[in-house]
Amino acid sequence: MENDEQLERFFDQMKKQDEQLDIPAFPEVKTRKFNLWIPAGIAASLALLGLIMQEPQPLPEGPNEVLIITLQEGDNNEQEFIIEEKAYLDVWESPTASLLTDY
Amino acid sequence: MNRSQLDHILKVHHRDAYLWSRQCCSFDDDLAKDVLQQSYLKILEGQAKLKDTSKAKTWLFSIIRYTAIDELRKAGKVVSISETYDPIDIPEEIDATDYEAIINRLPEMQREVILMVFYHQMTIAQSAEILQIGIGTARTHYDRGKKKLKELITKVQIQEDYGK
Repeated sequence: MENDEQLERFFDQMKKQDEQLDIPAFPEVKTRKFNLWIPAGIAASLALLGLIMQEPQPLPEGPNEVLIITLQEGDNNEQEFIIEEKAYLDVWESPTASLLTDY
Repeated sequence: MNRSQLDHILKVHHRDAYLWSRQCCSFDDDLAKDVLQQSYLKILEGQAKLKDTSKAKTWLFSIIRYTAIDELRKAGKVVSISETYDPIDIPEEIDATDYEAIINRLPEMQREVILMVFYHQMTIAQSAEILQIGIGTARTHYDRGKKKLKELITKVQIQEDYGK
């Protein structure tokens, strides 16, 4: 380090000058790595919100009366329609049930 | 090494890192800030890994230097200066207190070794590590840089004394 005084003086003065420099604040570096927790969290929150917001729908009420139309053979061997109004069906017969007995 | 440990290392060396970034960017403040930001990003994203914590400063300076070279190349600001370039021939008058202009007259490698040793108090071996060159080559740059800088300082002082 012989005869380096000139250089050392030069750099000392340079450093003094640099003390006046505005050193930028340490930056908040946000890494560009994709974080899987973020979309997973959003999806879970949306699903939960959907469940909370969904109101239970009332069940449709059944008809008060049931109209039963039957075709019956009358006294004069004539087919006649009988129309009844009931609150419920006590007997139900499949429309194709006759096929099982007739054939 | 986790994120908070890396953050701590970067914060400890932040001032020196910014000054080194400026020196690598020909004292361009805006470019130096960009280079530093990109260097930090490389580190925190794991593109550059620190194996030996005792060499944190050397490692950080090396990343900044290579990031600066890339940015200068992209900006088309890289000027190839051969080692035989004569800095003593000063075309324009330089102020003796314009230290940045004076040091910028040195060839790149010599300037970097001289700055690392005299400004950042590093050893020639550490400089060689940062520049990724052999210690013998680093010593040659150091000796030549020292000689040329002394001549430059003398020349600028003579210019100033007799130019007035």
